[in-house]
This record gives sequence, structure tokens and C-alpha cells, in this order.
Amino acid sequence: MDRIPVNSSTIVDIGYDASLMTLELGFKQGAVYQYFDVPDAVYQELMRADSKGTFFHANIKNNYRYTKL
Amino acid sequence: MPGNPTYLGTVQDVQGATISVALDKDTVSGLAFIDGHGYRIGQIGSFVRISIGFIDLFGIVSQVGAGAVPEALVKTEPYGYRWMKVQLIGEGPRGGEFKRGISQYPTIGDEAHLVTEHDLARIYGRPDAPNFVRIGSLASAESIPALIDIDRLVTRHSAVVGTTGAGKSTTVANLLLSLSDPGRYPSARIIILDIHGEYHSAMHDRAALFRVNADEGQGEKPLFVPYWALSFDELLRVTPFRGLGDADRAALVDKIKQLKLASLQAQTRGGATADTMTVDTPIPFSIHRLWYELHRFVCSTHTAQSANQSENTEAIENDQNGQPILGDIMGVTPPKYRPITQSGQNRVYLSSAPLNIRRQILALESLLRDTRYDFLFRPGPWCPNPEGTPEKDLNVLLRSWIGGDKPITILDLSGVPVSILTDLIGVLIRLLFDALFWARQLPEGGRSRPLLFVLEEAHAYLNSGNEGSASVAARRIVKEGRKYGLGAMIVSQRPSEIDPTILSQCGTIFAMRLANASDRSHVTGTVSDNLEGLFNMLPALRTGEAIIVGESVHLPLRALVDAPAKNRRPDSHDPQVYDPSTRGGWNRPKQAEDYARVLKNWRSENPRGANNPRR
Repeated sequence: MDRIPVNSSTIVDIGYDASLMTLELGFKQGAVYQYFDVPDAVYQELMRADSKGTFFHANIKNNYRYTKL
Repeated sequence: MPGNPTYLGTVQDVQGATISVALDKDTVSGLAFIDGHGYRIGQIGSFVRISIGFIDLFGIVSQVGAGAVPEALVKTEPYGYRWMKVQLIGEGPRGGEFKRGISQYPTIGDEAHLVTEHDLARIYGRPDAPNFVRIGSLASAESIPALIDIDRLVTRHSAVVGTTGAGKSTTVANLLLSLSDPGRYPSARIIILDIHGEYHSAMHDRAALFRVNADEGQGEKPLFVPYWALSFDELLRVTPFRGLGDADRAALVDKIKQLKLASLQAQTRGGATADTMTVDTPIPFSIHRLWYELHRFVCSTHTAQSANQSENTEAIENDQNGQPILGDIMGVTPPKYRPITQSGQNRVYLSSAPLNIRRQILALESLLRDTRYDFLFRPGPWCPNPEGTPEKDLNVLLRSWIGGDKPITILDLSGVPVSILTDLIGVLIRLLFDALFWARQLPEGGRSRPLLFVLEEAHAYLNSGNEGSASVAARRIVKEGRKYGLGAMIVSQRPSEIDPTILSQCGTIFAMRLANASDRSHVTGTVSDNLEGLFNMLPALRTGEAIIVGESVHLPLRALVDAPAKNRRPDSHDPQVYDPSTRGGWNRPKQAEDYARVLKNWRSENPRGANNPRR
């Protein structure tokens, strides 16, 4: 999955596959996580959020199942 | 040679197997009478005999008239002579047996003769040979039977092609009735994949009918295709799991293997051991349990965080009586989980399952509830209980399909959902192929008791460029089936839509009337003989008339197929818009109908009404 670099203190880059409903996040520490069943709207909001890290902690982290790549 | 009534003319030009004959000036055009029989001279598709020494060469007339004048003579004799082009096809010693192929060519001046019924009987003859069946008579001489060699018909595959209404199903019905003649071939074994349910009326006493929504009062048997007999790939194609990622796919393989292993340990199955078993081995497992366990794995919520999660930490809701709502495996009801919470004392967390298959699991749930798929996922006595043990094993199913007391088995697929029809046909062919392949040393295997597959309306699922499992399975039959005693008979009105690899492997072609030019060229292209002249007749064939070429006939023949008796005709006639009997059609008085029955049948998905039990 291609990830787009973003301007954030915790997240390096973000990718999203609409057909798999999968969100892929690259973190500053080097880890990459996939979050499953994430709706497109949530991804759009994440991309619009002023602080990606705050939005991630509030709306994604414990709301979706994930796997570490 | 004036005086000899069969004399037509002399050979004037030889070009490989194509020769030009100049008709004699004295040859009467039109009719010649020999031994009291009338023969029309110079008919396209009729035969000529050329005698050279002790050998007679035989050929088929492919062109007559000014166009058949050899090129070099066009200027000098634009219309002086009448010419005939003949394709040589075989030879035979005087009074001996006819053989395909030419050992010597005619030369200029050799005489060409009309072929009489006596000669034709010699060419086509052998009505007593036990491996030949009659399917009709020669179109040019009705006293001579059209005979088909069943050895080659079955094992070298065949195709029956023709426009709708050209007599295709009647020809197939006639062939199958001849092949299943209990007096001649008591152990005949034929399977018809009938997607429109046409054939049972023609074969009622010789065929066992299996169908979805069977009317068992009418002697029909229910069609069951146990899902656990499918290979892993086949199962993926008919469930929402197609297109799964590699990691998820591997997890699914593990899960199914684990269920199959448990089932094998609960009840041993001859031939399968825990060491040799793979995910494709046909061992029962419960797909309902698979769904239930996957649901609990992926969709559950837990009272503990990821690393500490187990079945005991599942956050299952309680009902009014304080009992946990665990759901029901066979009823396809999932357990009810508490929603996740972000804070507070009794926090509820999401499952830590690293699989991205939640949507597929939810889709599987509705698929397992869909009654249209019951023949596959709740296959009667072959439906395993949650522990993975069905009432009966596959041998009973195979015996009912290919070991029954009737020579013909009709698998009526008219009630199968269209979305899985192609894959299901692939599964059926593959299952029977595998069964006969592994039984090849046994008395009921394909080598000692061959099986003929009749694939009706083949263009619907064997189309070219279609990598569906039906094409793959049919290709396997036409390529390798011969060695294991499996033959295919492909029936279609659109030969141009059928995979050319499949069509070109058909040793015998029954070509009925074909109007469409691309269909025609497709059929002509698959025929190896130099007989394009013969195939040019395809648009003008009568109903019930077929050109038969290939391995099961001595030489190409144009036959008028016998019409089966009235009660043995396939049920393929069209609805009548004007019905003289006024039982139906637009001319009948209008009847009151509030469409409640229409809706009832539709909802119950049963054309005979909802009162027939479905399960």
C-alpha cells in the first residue's frame, strides 16, 4: 500500500485502501500498523485533522482492530 | 463410357486432394435411374467414385458449375463444359471395405461415377457391428442407416452444435436413447448437466433426476453438493472469501485443516490419515462451526487487553435471565458482545485478531442463512453436525449419481443461483473426474465403465477467455479424460462462444443448421478434413438434419436424425404466443389473478408453490 507523508509529531505517513477498508500508519519509531474496517470518512477526517496524533488517539487507536506489520 | 448409367465424366485436373471433373456432354443433368432408384446428378455433398485399376477412390462434390472450371481454362471455356469440384476422402478395393485416406491419385481421363446405394452401403455399412448405433438415415439415401461408433463417440468427445430450433436437443435425446438401450448396453453410464431442466421428459424411464427443490412425490431426488467435498480454492469461489489476502488465506487454511483434523479424529475415514490429510482432502467439517469460530475470533470484544485475551475473557452479553447469549451454530446466530468502552472500570476491548476478514465473515453469515444455497451448505444427510460428522459419507452420494440402477443421471441445475452456476458445474465435473480417476483400477472406475458427460448449453459456462472453474474442469476432461474413461458431449447453439481448445478436442462434430457466420467459421475451423464445401451447407440444412464429421463416423455424412417418439422428446419447445388449443397464449380468455401466488412462489423460490417442503 502506498503511504503519503504527513506533517505530524507521531505519524510519518498514512495510506488507505478503500476496497479492503484498511488504514496503514507509519509511526516515528519506525513501526507500521494496519487498522481494519476503517470507513473512508474516518480516513478523510484523519487527513483533514490539524493534529493527526490527537485524532488518532481519540478516534482510531482503540476503535479498530489492528495488526503490526 | 456411354451405356453405363453411373458414368458422370472424366477427371481433368488434379490438385492435391481436390480434383476437377468435366461432366460428359451426354450425361443427363438432373435425374439418373439406376436399379430403379433415382439419383440427382451433381448434388453438393453427394459422393462420386473414381475407378483406377482395382481401387475405387471416393470423393465429395464441393462445387458445381462455371465456378468449378479450372483457372487455366476459364478464358477458353467460359461455359462450354459443366464442371464439378470433388474433394477426395478415401478409397477401397473393389468390393472391399472403405478406408479413409488416399494411397494413389487419379490422373487425367479417369472416369468419375455416380455413387449408388450399393456403394454407399459399402462405405457406411456395418449395421450389425455391436459398437455402432443408428441415429438416423443418410440424407441422400434413406434406406441406409447413419451409424455412429460409440467407442469413439464417448472417449474421443463430441460436440453437437446448431441454431435454436435446428433439432439439437432432439438429436442429443436420440443419441442418448440409443446409447442407453438396456438391451444392448445395460451398463451405460451417462450424466447430463441440464441447466434448463429439459431432458427428464424425454428419458423419464431411463434416467434418475436430481434437482434443487426436488418434488420427491414425482420420483425426483434432491440434488446435494456437500461443500466439504470441494477443494479449498473451489470453496473460496462459492463463498465470500474469494480474493482474500495471503495472510488471511493462510489463516483460513489452518482453521479448516484444524476442523477437518478434529472430524477425522472423531470418526476415522478409510484412506485418510492425519499425516497425509490436506485442506483439499474431502473430509467433512462443519462450515457453520467455521463461521461461528471465526466470528468469535474476529468480531468478539474482550474484558482484557490484547495479550491477555482468551475465550474466557469474551465480553458476552447476558439475556433477561442472566444467561450469556452464546448464539447458535447451526442456526447461524452469532453470540452477542458488549460494545467497546474507552474508559471506566469494566473496560471492553476489541479482539486482537490480526485478520482482516470481518466483512467476509458477516457475508458468510447471510450466505449460510440463504435457503437458495441449502443444497450446498446444508446438504441433507451430508450436512455435518457442528462436530463435523455427517450422517452419510460421499460414497453414498457417488453411488446415487454414477452407480444407480438407471443408465442416465440428470443433474438439473435450473434451481442453482446463477452467480455460482459456473463454479458449481466446475465442481461437479471435477468431483466426478477425481472419483473416476482414483477408481481407474476398480470395476466401477472409468476405464472399465466409461462415463459420458453431456454438457448442455455449454456456451453459458465454457466460454472462451473464461477462466472459470467449469472451463478448467471441462478442458481437463477433453484433454485427459480419454485415458480414464471420461467422455464429454458438448451441446451448444453458440459454438463461437465456446473455448476453442475445448471445441477442437471434440473428435466428432454433429453440426446442425447454423445461420450465424462466426459460429460457422468456428465449427469449420475445428474440422480437420478438407471439407469446407460440405460445411457451406450448414445454413441450408433442414431441421433434424446434421452433418457428422470426425472419428466416430467412417467419413463425413449428412444424416437425417430420427425423431424420437412423441413421449421421448425433450421439453425444449417455446411458449406459444398463439395457441390453437387456447389453453395458453395471447388468444386465450384472460384469467383473474391477484399475483399473490406469483409472489408466494417467488418468495419461496419454488416454481411449484411453497407447500413443497424445501429442506
